[in-house]
Amino acid sequence: MINAIVRIGTTTINVTKTFRDTLSFAFTIILKMFNKNSYNSATRQVLIHQIYFTSVQILPLFIGISIIFGTLLMGIVLQIIKNLGLAEHLGRIIMDLVVTELAPFVTVLLIALRSSSAINAEIAVMKVNKELNTLDKFNIDAVDYLFLPRVINGVLSVVLLSAFFSILVLTSGLLFSKLLFGLSLESYSNVLLSSANFYDIVISLVKCCTFGFFITLIPIRFGLHATNDLTSIPISVLNGMVDVFIAIIFIEVLSLILIFI
Amino acid sequence: MRLFEGEVALDERLKDFAEEHKKTLGLVSLDVPLISNLDVSVNIALIKQYHENLSADKAQALVLSYLTRYGLEDISNKRNPALSNKERFCVMLLRAAMVRDSIIVIDRPFTIIPDVKDDRFIYDALKIVDDSFKECHIFDYLWSKDRYGMITV
Repeated sequence: MINAIVRIGTTTINVTKTFRDTLSFAFTIILKMFNKNSYNSATRQVLIHQIYFTSVQILPLFIGISIIFGTLLMGIVLQIIKNLGLAEHLGRIIMDLVVTELAPFVTVLLIALRSSSAINAEIAVMKVNKELNTLDKFNIDAVDYLFLPRVINGVLSVVLLSAFFSILVLTSGLLFSKLLFGLSLESYSNVLLSSANFYDIVISLVKCCTFGFFITLIPIRFGLHATNDLTSIPISVLNGMVDVFIAIIFIEVLSLILIFI
Repeated sequence: MRLFEGEVALDERLKDFAEEHKKTLGLVSLDVPLISNLDVSVNIALIKQYHENLSADKAQALVLSYLTRYGLEDISNKRNPALSNKERFCVMLLRAAMVRDSIIVIDRPFTIIPDVKDDRFIYDALKIVDDSFKECHIFDYLWSKDRYGMITV
């Protein structure tokens, strides 16, 4: 019994410590983000490369998934709307479902699967190879040079790709709305525009930024936890990706609560 | 040149020296490896880009001109694992020389270039870029003294 209580206590302390450390690291990154001294030719170059790796290289896969998944989903949703006789709520349902919920979630899952794991492994390898020591010896701040461009790239990529996903799926929605409801392009656009809510768009934007921030920050933090052993790399990636997934769910739930309120 | 009886003494003195000259230190050491996911040219240019905000194009051009001095312009797009020991030494030396008013410290050079028997290669490599650093110090073990002929103690 006492052992169980000790275990619960230890786990609680560890979880609280991890949460506090993540927030403290996030605060450091945010401070650096708004400090103009953090930016120079080297950090800009890293940022451009990161945007290319995360947002450009993923495009064929992203477009494919958006079209296949988005089109099928829109078809099903519009069919259900028609069957339930909810045609007057068409615009509102599409905007809430696609722009506020689906686009950020699908985007963040794709980027987390592809880029978060890569960032986690990259930082862990650099730690094991003493390459972070190299930066330190040459007075290069790892936060400025390595971490900040990756976090900014995460925020930009999730926001932009999420918007792109929304555009692709809303466009495919046009096809089904024409088939099922006989809506023209103009009517469809009017329905969507009249249903667009500024508050929802702000929530969606904040959600994308938060997703992008944490799915890059957490892998960096776990990459730094690697020891000098090569075997610590997979452990660091595994733990980092589990925490990324927990963070995604946590942010999603938090945003749902905010919208619900 | 500074020669030491053993590893502990060398490491301690090197640590103190690095602290004293932190701002201008250009360290050449196996403990300060090249960054493996960057090309040779980016590894070297990084110093000028970060500390002097030199544009990527200008920094790359500068690096290429230095690599040409060694006849190593062909390796500019290679990464660390693809380099020979001598190439790696030259790249690490160039990176150290990129620090403004650089005080270059070569930590146990023969551990970086174990296939080299004496200091001629090190001497020649330093001579080629002697316009780009202020001082150079070599830290090594006392028992390596016989390998140094051209570089005086």
